Amino acid sequence: MEPDRWRRVEQLYHSALKMPLELRPAFLKDECQGDDELQKEVASLLSYESSAAEFIEFPAFDVAARLMAKDNAEQANSDGTEPAVTSRFHVLEKIGGGGMGVVYKAEDTKLRRTVALKFLPLELSPDPQSLERFQREAYAASALNHPNICTVYDVDEFDGRPFIAMELLEGQTLEHCIATRPLLLPEMLELAIQISDALDAAHTSGVIHRDIKPSNIFITNHGQAKILDFGLAKLHEFESVETQAQTSAKPDPMQDGDPLLTLTRTGVTVGTAAYMSPEQVRGERLDPRTDLFSFGLVLYEMATRQRAFAGDTAAVLHHAILNQTPVPARELNRQIPPKLEHIISRALEKYREARYQTAAEICADLEALQRQSAPKHLPRVWIAGLGIAATMAVGTILFMLNRPPRTVPVAPEIKLRQLTTNSSENPVIGGSISPDGKYLAYSDTRGLHFKVIETGETRPVPKPEVPKGQSVKWEVGTWFPDNTRFLVNVHPSTEDWRDWSSATSSIWVVSVLGGAATKLRDHAIAGSVSPDAMLVSFRTNKGKFGERQVWLMGPNGENARKFQETDENTGIAGFGWAPDGKRYGYIFTDASGDTLLSRDIKGGPTVTLLQNAELKKMDDVNWLHDGRVVYSLHEPGNGSVCNYWTMRIDIATGRHLGEPRRLTNWPNFCVFGGSVTNDDKRLAFMASSGSHTSYVGDLEAGGKWLRNISRFTLEEDNGVVGWTADGKAIVGQNRGAWSLYTQSLDSDTPEPIVSPVAGGALLVGDTTPDGKSYIGRIWPNGESIENPTIPFPIVRIPLTGGTPETILQLSRNGNVSCARPPSHTCVLAEQSEDRKQIVVSILDPIKGRGPELARFDSGHELNLVDPPPCAISPDGTRLVIARGSESPIEIRSMHGGLIRKIASQSVGEVTWLTWSVDQKGFFVSRKGQRGDELLYLDLQGEATSLRKCVGSDTCQGLPSPDGRHLAIIDRNQSSNMWMMENF
Amino acid sequence: MAMTSSDVTRLLQAWGGGDEHALEKLIPLVYEQLRTAARRYMAGERPGHTLQTTALIHETYLRLVDVRQVKWQDRTHFMAICSQLMRRILIDFARSRNYKKRGAGAVHVDFDEALVVTSEPDANLVALDDALSRLALVDARKSRVVELRFFGGLDIKETAEVLKVSADTVMRDWKMAKVWLLRELHGGVAHGT
Repeated sequence: MEPDRWRRVEQLYHSALKMPLELRPAFLKDECQGDDELQKEVASLLSYESSAAEFIEFPAFDVAARLMAKDNAEQANSDGTEPAVTSRFHVLEKIGGGGMGVVYKAEDTKLRRTVALKFLPLELSPDPQSLERFQREAYAASALNHPNICTVYDVDEFDGRPFIAMELLEGQTLEHCIATRPLLLPEMLELAIQISDALDAAHTSGVIHRDIKPSNIFITNHGQAKILDFGLAKLHEFESVETQAQTSAKPDPMQDGDPLLTLTRTGVTVGTAAYMSPEQVRGERLDPRTDLFSFGLVLYEMATRQRAFAGDTAAVLHHAILNQTPVPARELNRQIPPKLEHIISRALEKYREARYQTAAEICADLEALQRQSAPKHLPRVWIAGLGIAATMAVGTILFMLNRPPRTVPVAPEIKLRQLTTNSSENPVIGGSISPDGKYLAYSDTRGLHFKVIETGETRPVPKPEVPKGQSVKWEVGTWFPDNTRFLVNVHPSTEDWRDWSSATSSIWVVSVLGGAATKLRDHAIAGSVSPDAMLVSFRTNKGKFGERQVWLMGPNGENARKFQETDENTGIAGFGWAPDGKRYGYIFTDASGDTLLSRDIKGGPTVTLLQNAELKKMDDVNWLHDGRVVYSLHEPGNGSVCNYWTMRIDIATGRHLGEPRRLTNWPNFCVFGGSVTNDDKRLAFMASSGSHTSYVGDLEAGGKWLRNISRFTLEEDNGVVGWTADGKAIVGQNRGAWSLYTQSLDSDTPEPIVSPVAGGALLVGDTTPDGKSYIGRIWPNGESIENPTIPFPIVRIPLTGGTPETILQLSRNGNVSCARPPSHTCVLAEQSEDRKQIVVSILDPIKGRGPELARFDSGHELNLVDPPPCAISPDGTRLVIARGSESPIEIRSMHGGLIRKIASQSVGEVTWLTWSVDQKGFFVSRKGQRGDELLYLDLQGEATSLRKCVGSDTCQGLPSPDGRHLAIIDRNQSSNMWMMENF
Repeated sequence: MAMTSSDVTRLLQAWGGGDEHALEKLIPLVYEQLRTAARRYMAGERPGHTLQTTALIHETYLRLVDVRQVKWQDRTHFMAICSQLMRRILIDFARSRNYKKRGAGAVHVDFDEALVVTSEPDANLVALDDALSRLALVDARKSRVVELRFFGGLDIKETAEVLKVSADTVMRDWKMAKVWLLRELHGGVAHGT
């Protein structure tokens, strides 16, 4: 390549790297000006960017040393250094060997039975702690006593080498089966059902395998599948976590602390790398769904006798797992039914929300397929009882018949497709599908985009011009019927979406054909465009419950007229046009909740479509053209999860025609913001999910520096809520089971305190001065943020175990903080009824609310999410309080007298505030444009940034009582556009 | 008999000057360090102690170069030679290992057959070495950045010192070289994302 051209490639590569992923193609196209080869060259380099992250990041010397170690170990194993006898097991003969260790047949002298002993390879030799954990997991899986899980009898060490004593099986690994003979459909299904059933049993009891692959599945001579090595993979994981801690200590800009680095490098075999889930490759926290992906890969291989992802190095495989879609299984084997291909591809969804969610679901689908494929009178039990030969014979006959599935009336299958792949750092703000179903318009923190759904091509759209210096967010509204223009609401970027109001918003029209965006109206929030494109609805005039008026105007902002209005104590929100364009629906809100009403636009009485009780848990209602409504409903028991339902409603009378019917059953996110195409075939919506991540770092220089920050909680969505009094352990809550635990800083085993804490998420509170209990506020499960009508209990939880006690019911948002000994004071800072004041009272850990100490004007209306930023000093003599972004942070006496103002004009809107242990400063979180930021603020008002929680909507810092550590709670919300079809 | 460090420095200088015989005497020194590292892994030390490995590489350098004899400004020169030396020795190690794995009967390996990538990671070390030589033809400096960082174990700052460019340039080179090499190892084709 010519040097000039190479330089150009390089320059474009680096420029493109700085752009968001979705804008890169357009950028390159633009820059290359028709030079296809140049464009291709840069694009092909870019395509390796993500998988190159871990590539050659460790010195070659290290790789070589490791290879040498491996050679030596192999030699040692083959040198006849077999342990002839252990204390309990007499080795009889060597029966196998391989990557995961050498296996011997042995006699258990104690229980007089023949067992298999598997010696782990030396490089896997765990330390006592992880060995113990492995033991626990292996036993936990064994304890299930599942016929398809290999039983582990013992985990022990001999001569410094750990071994597993397990059930002696006769047969072959699935890997060997696949390599030596084709599996026929009935056998394949039978084995797959057994495996998925075993996975389901393990997952239900909280054990994840993490390394499902054909060589870890054993097929006995009786045709029974047995999953091997439960818990073993966790040994690797422990390594990675530790490595992460190690590398983070090294100030090397090229180290990104990716746990994968270890996996790639330590020579976890390519065999394992090929079966990793995308989340495993990315080094994310794992949940049972990782096994479902790996199982999908196993199924693929059973069906096609090929690996879904091919590659010779871990790096290449990782890249493929993250970016490639395998060749459809039926292209490789025409004999498998389409339904099986469907099952496989659903298991192989890269995004775990889109995947099968439980092993039970896959199992059910496989069983349904088995029923369809097998003659009716051949029950599963019977197949299971057959040897392989017999099963094969049945299979051959069936294939020759090649009969279509029995005609079972099945509901049309809903297809789900993810349209955007924004990270949590850049969540999608709003989006809408065009009436013809061809395009998606959406917005994120970077701008407005327009996507061709068929090809996935994305283009930026010119943004509304706003006055210089003003920073805004764009929220995409509905399309015009011509499929070329759509509505956009422009909001100030400093406002959280919950605070958006017509007072600070404006409505614009954007055209995908280009040209400047035009403003339709200030101080208004757009509703939607009528089917004949003649009217645009909007709402304005903010009251206590949101906007109070709905207006209609012409498509160019002309002839605005008021359509409906409510009084000061109620609110009204646009909902949508009836498909005939004659009626308009809106949501009416008062103190008792929401009601969905409709009215003819020419006047006449209002009709109630959905009552408060029905609407209460709804997040999204879409009016279909065929007379149905599709709405999302919060799942009972988990308010952060909602699913789509459908129902027929007569728009003119409000009469419900027929029963509600569930459309989806997605367990992990909430859906809202739907838009439907004219033919009712596609519904685009936003799906968002939140997750908590906790970090712990070392505090230095009194709190100014935070070092060695590491992720603390290992399990999915566990959250730190505080510290034990000695500062040696954190107090955390498992947000799935709501149970509470402590976990020592030098351990990764949680010690349960109590389970579950009744009814919901524990919000951050404090440990009592005597160190015996933890006091926190419960967010009742299923209660929405916007409608906190139910009192929130404040509970005292004994840290040594025992029953949590509710010490008081709080009807508004509040914050608990406690001093440290010798003081024994705790205070409660809560919102006043009108949310304009912060009221501070004594909180007695036993008796509950004590006397009121002081009241402070908050300077603005307090929001419903963040606890009032006010906390007691560790010596129990003072309060610190932040009263709105305009006023400085203040230190006040316990009775409200001003002691000192901290000149902190730079801090901005404070969402969290607590004292440093030495009382020489504070840990403060402030709202930033791209997420909260955690600061240390000293008494002189000098702020040091400790952490930017990008994309986070909660970022709280909790110092340990000894002042040596800081725990950080980071709640991240990611949202993306999805599309549902065939509903 | 143990060599003194000034002997080693002379050998290294000689090798840097093109004397291939000097290499034979240097190999055992590097191997000794490699074995030390390997023993640590064998002993069940947790893998991934990068700091330790880096320390070992640096220790290797110290043993190769007599710091008292080398003038400070020559330090970067030696780091460069050491990186080349490491590349040479480690690749030879990987090659000989491949050879052993294939067995003694595989002396006459066809050229084509030898190119077939096996699932052994060290085979890829050899493939990487080849790819790196190809990169040198396209962009010599990037190839040196990889040599210094991957084979020499130098950090960004040290690499910048050796090449007399800014740390930013090294970072950019490193990023670009990595994707280029990865693509080479992947057969030179793009990945649809």
